[in-house]
Amino acid sequence: MAENKFAAYICSGCGLGDTLDIGALEKVAQKEMKMSVVKSHPFLCSDEGVAMIKHDIAHEGVTHLCIAACSRRAKTEAFHFPSAAVSRANLREGVLWVVAEGSEHDEVRQEMAEDYVRMGCAEVKKMKVPAGNVKESSSKKILVVGGGVSGMTAALAAADAGYEVVLVEKTGELGGFAKSLVKRVPFAAPYADPQPTGIEEMVARVRAHAKIKVYVNATLAETSGAPGRFAVKIATESGSLSEELCGAIVQATGFTPYPIEKLPELGGGQPNVVDQAGLEALVRQAAGGTIRRADGKEVKSVVFVQCAGQRDATGQHLPYCSGHCCATSIKQAIYFKDANPEVDTVVMYQDLRVPGMGEDFYRSAQKRGVIFTKGKASQVKGGDVCQVTFKDLILDEENTIEADLVVLATGQVPVAGVNLDEWTATVTAAESGDETAKGKVSELKNISVLKLNYRQGPDMPQFKYGFADSHFICFPYETRRTGIYACGPMRRPMDMFQAQEDATGAALKAIQAVENAALGRAAHPRAWDLSFPSARLEGCTQCKRCTVECPFGAIDEDEKRFPKFNEERCRRCGTCMGACPVRVISFENYSVDTVGSQIKAVNIPDEFEEKPRILILACENDAYPALDMAGIQRLTYSAYVRAIPVRCLGSVNTIWVTDALNSGYDGVMLMGCKKGEDYQCHFVKGSEMAFYRMSKIDDTLKQLGLEPERVQSYEIAITDNARVAKLINDYVAQIQEMGLSPMKGFG
Amino acid sequence: MTTPIATQQTILVVGGGIAGMTAALEAAECGKQVILVEKTPSLGGRTAQLYRYFPKMCHPTCGLEINLKRIKGNPNVRVLTMTEVVGVSGSRGDYRVTLKVKPRYVTEACTACGDCARAVSSEIPNPFNYGLDKVKAAYLPHAMAYPLRYVIDASIVGTPEGEAAKAACKVGAIDLEMPEETLELSVGSVIWATGWRPYDAAKIQPYGYDRFKNVITSVEFERLADPHGPTGGKLLRPSDGKEAKNIAFIQCAGSRDENHLRHCSRICCMATLKQTQYVREVYGDEGKSTVYYIDIRAIDRFEDFYQNVQKDPNVRFVKSKVARIAENESNGNLILHGVDTEGYHRYANEHDLVVLAVGMEPEIVGIPLPADLVLDTSHFIEGSRTGGMFGAGAASSPLDVNRAVQSATAASLRAIQVIHRSATTEAA
Amino acid sequence: MTTANQQALAKYKNDFLKEVEANVEEGHWVRMCMQCGVCAGSCPLGPHWEHSPQKIFMMIRAGKREEVLTSDSMWMCTSCYNCIVRCPRKLPITHIMHGLANYAHRLGLAPKGQPTREIAKLFWNNLIKTGRVNELKFSLAMYFKDGFSQGVKNALAMQSIGLGLMKAKRLNPFEILGGHRCKDAAGIQKMIAKAREIEDRKKGFA
Repeated sequence: MAENKFAAYICSGCGLGDTLDIGALEKVAQKEMKMSVVKSHPFLCSDEGVAMIKHDIAHEGVTHLCIAACSRRAKTEAFHFPSAAVSRANLREGVLWVVAEGSEHDEVRQEMAEDYVRMGCAEVKKMKVPAGNVKESSSKKILVVGGGVSGMTAALAAADAGYEVVLVEKTGELGGFAKSLVKRVPFAAPYADPQPTGIEEMVARVRAHAKIKVYVNATLAETSGAPGRFAVKIATESGSLSEELCGAIVQATGFTPYPIEKLPELGGGQPNVVDQAGLEALVRQAAGGTIRRADGKEVKSVVFVQCAGQRDATGQHLPYCSGHCCATSIKQAIYFKDANPEVDTVVMYQDLRVPGMGEDFYRSAQKRGVIFTKGKASQVKGGDVCQVTFKDLILDEENTIEADLVVLATGQVPVAGVNLDEWTATVTAAESGDETAKGKVSELKNISVLKLNYRQGPDMPQFKYGFADSHFICFPYETRRTGIYACGPMRRPMDMFQAQEDATGAALKAIQAVENAALGRAAHPRAWDLSFPSARLEGCTQCKRCTVECPFGAIDEDEKRFPKFNEERCRRCGTCMGACPVRVISFENYSVDTVGSQIKAVNIPDEFEEKPRILILACENDAYPALDMAGIQRLTYSAYVRAIPVRCLGSVNTIWVTDALNSGYDGVMLMGCKKGEDYQCHFVKGSEMAFYRMSKIDDTLKQLGLEPERVQSYEIAITDNARVAKLINDYVAQIQEMGLSPMKGFG
Repeated sequence: MTTPIATQQTILVVGGGIAGMTAALEAAECGKQVILVEKTPSLGGRTAQLYRYFPKMCHPTCGLEINLKRIKGNPNVRVLTMTEVVGVSGSRGDYRVTLKVKPRYVTEACTACGDCARAVSSEIPNPFNYGLDKVKAAYLPHAMAYPLRYVIDASIVGTPEGEAAKAACKVGAIDLEMPEETLELSVGSVIWATGWRPYDAAKIQPYGYDRFKNVITSVEFERLADPHGPTGGKLLRPSDGKEAKNIAFIQCAGSRDENHLRHCSRICCMATLKQTQYVREVYGDEGKSTVYYIDIRAIDRFEDFYQNVQKDPNVRFVKSKVARIAENESNGNLILHGVDTEGYHRYANEHDLVVLAVGMEPEIVGIPLPADLVLDTSHFIEGSRTGGMFGAGAASSPLDVNRAVQSATAASLRAIQVIHRSATTEAA
Repeated sequence: MTTANQQALAKYKNDFLKEVEANVEEGHWVRMCMQCGVCAGSCPLGPHWEHSPQKIFMMIRAGKREEVLTSDSMWMCTSCYNCIVRCPRKLPITHIMHGLANYAHRLGLAPKGQPTREIAKLFWNNLIKTGRVNELKFSLAMYFKDGFSQGVKNALAMQSIGLGLMKAKRLNPFEILGGHRCKDAAGIQKMIAKAREIEDRKKGFA
């Protein structure tokens, strides 16, 4: 391997040269940081400047370079040198644009710039170019679990893009819930009539597709491995086990209707009160003729009660809205009207929810004479003559209508496997000897769909109400189990159209996962990232914090109880690195050292200079851009701070903080994203863990004789440009009031 | 500009909002070549102009930052801004596309230092803030703009102002002679992620958007709430800059209305519920919101959000389509006339500010499109006759961001299927 | 109860919506209302209505036949068309209101002495005589509808307006002698009688 050669390039453009002493910066890089090549350029991002750097890489053997110019968020195309390790010293957005103008600030401004050059040089010296980890034997086969509309759609979507698919269906035939439907709601203009479901054609296509292998009467017995190498054991009815090697998984295990028996007040369980599925069965039986009840009597009047056991604020039933039921009831009312226009059909709703073009479907039902009554049913009595007692919300009166049949629009209950919170609690209890818990564990194992042998549990983590949804609005497929994607009503309540869209999207993500795994790249949100964590296991104390805290369940334990990193599951957040008390985990280009050396590189003035130094560790996705944008908007903040972007606050190892304080920093600001229920962290708990870890740091501070205020954690949103500037200034003022750190000079 | 390399294995994505960025990135991260064209000077689209998202109340720019990072890190995506599609011919797997690239008058050499803006005094209505304030005629679209490059507005080209901007640029990035260009590309599939625009509220005559200063649209309200907006996040009403503490939100302003948009725009109920919480955030118990609605469409888990807002004593719900608005000339307040239909209660309510929850209209309304595209009655894109072009996001249906991204991801795979099919038939 | 009303009740039993759809002008639109209430708020005479149009539609759907047909609400409509212009479902609300009023009248259920209804009757009777409206006779008929002494009082109260109209040649005192008429008044009357016969047959009043 060729020797490393370190270079620093300092830009004097954008006014940097007018305000900063570039020569002094060069000297810092050269003399102090011992960079072998140090050059400045009046316009470093110009073709000429970039050519100069490229030349040095190609002909001067430069392998590591620090670009001291603008923010790492700017000029990424120009400063793109894939073969070299690159650090960016942020002189423009981080110094020039945020330090107050005027010569009285020249000194502190220059000190700040020099420190950033020191930090950039120190960082790059510890960096390696991520080599990536291309895997020749990676499987690109997609496993689809569930053979309903969502599962079949995902299978066909992936197969039509050229990927092999294995489809596993629990029951004896494909088609799922949709198979029981007579017709579906329309998906295209004119949105007027119920449409054939097309399920039989779909099943036939799946069956005939050369790239799809179907297992029916089959469930997963065990899933191990990682993207690109999931070893899947499939248990079939005959008792035999088949094995498939798959690259990614789409879970499409659907829903069950909320049990009507749980709604006795709405007539659940009483004669002639059915749910929407029950009505489909009656209509199917009618085979296009007169729709009759179970007792054979012709239905001449029917009432649809919307939101039955849904949108429930009492805590007894489903709190959410299933979204599809208004359109479904409209479709079902049309079944009656199309069979016999004389049938009285009433849809009783509180808010009619037919978004988009569903409005046209609503109109088409009204045109057919379906009556829509805004009312809330309080009681339904089944029987030969059913009675629906309700509050008419328009006429503002209690009323009762009679009908031959009542249809309750109940909601969708997701089938998403085991709730991992329950799993973890049960397993922990079982491990401590609780006998009931032991029984419960095997019970939970039976509920599990994926049967993952992950240390963190056998299924995908669930979001609210048992749906295995993503937590992110911009990224509906941002899964917490890399390479495993949920779709259809197990992800969110949805109709057939949405389920097909969703399944197609999930199939794409599965394809992406197998492609990324083969290249040794991370998955979203760091899809470009070729670095991966490595651990010096000889130093490991088997504390298990990395295995427990990894937000993606990427780390298992090997037979000797050492952490076993499944690199393809890793999302490169560095939470394990932050967790490790003995600091044995690192990435090639991001490690305890790359950050630690930056912290140490800062020049700490002695206590008599009265210039505090505050370390900022900023989440690179929200806080660091906010700091940057403060610069772009020319908001000023104190020149006493030194900011280091981190992949996630979860990656912040407390050693950085204690090292900083030991070496004389006067304060540390940790800037992460929002935590709590509506957390913002794309690595799930980074911010939360940092807050937790910092709350534990108080003891250390006490030992050092430092005030707890010397370490502060903040939730910063990306829009907080102005706020972040103010927080910095307030904190610096607070530190100045408190007095500088007594640790100076001891570090 | 150099014409980007494109082949029948390339996917063209039209529109650089969240759906277009997603469609482009998802395909690119599967290893496909993508060209992403955007007609404005920067990516992000309308979501970048939102303050927060429902139901998490998080910031759209957070996701934008991630998507921009993905774009910066992926050589498979080529981005063309200020570019529009003016012609498409051919069929599935083999389209020829004509693009028109408007001059930005600023080259890639721009470092976004801002010297040009300081040299210019002319101002134009700020497109990022829906014209609620002004911006210099040499401007950075917004703090998160990508590409991070200034734009010289055409209005100052050929004037001394333009020359002043050019003279101020130390890196020579301003080219006032930059021509409009036409590019011809060959691509395999086209994803239309052309998005939506707020329905023209002035057309809803009884609400007086064109007559009363304190009647604004929901998208404008987003800008008021945003700390990056024209009021720095203060909810100040346009007529007199007074704090608006008693705000009316009118639902279905244009939507579900055969005189305007016959579809339901899906997002407006949730957007309003979210905006009532902006009012709470700014004023606490002093801020009052009244929501005038027909049906509250808080679908699926959004219901939680609705139930929480219902518990907020400062938010009142009136089931009524407001009939008309009159202005109280003495104080600029608005008087809303209508009937609460839950039991027939007539009202004439006075508010400081009225926010019209305007509907989503496809951005492509009024634009000539390839005959291959299939549109529904509201001009949302259903697909194409030959099956090689797809709608994605709000161009395909009025969708919230989450569903738009879901739709864009699906469209991305459909486009991949098209080029996969043509690649395999070619090989055969 | 009138025979027509009895027949209608027997025919439609409790299905008032079907009855309205069959017998009321534009009645088939009632089912299309989505209860937004914009009509209710748009009506300039709204505060004087017992039930707003949107509520009437809901009452029809709820089978409140008696309440709707005996109500004076639809008689309040002045045909300003605000509701029609604003209705998001494009219901011809004005026409439905007149249709309902007319139907209630034909069934004999319309409120007695309701002023709008009385004026409508006077206007109609005035018009069909000659095929032209005789303003003077129409005005006098209105003044004196509540008796002679009230008529004199009304006439005196309106005196100055009457004189003004005369000066402006908008009111001809000689109209009292029969007034202007169309060329074939008898023909007009025949035509109207025929039209009525057709309508009665269609709506089952024959």
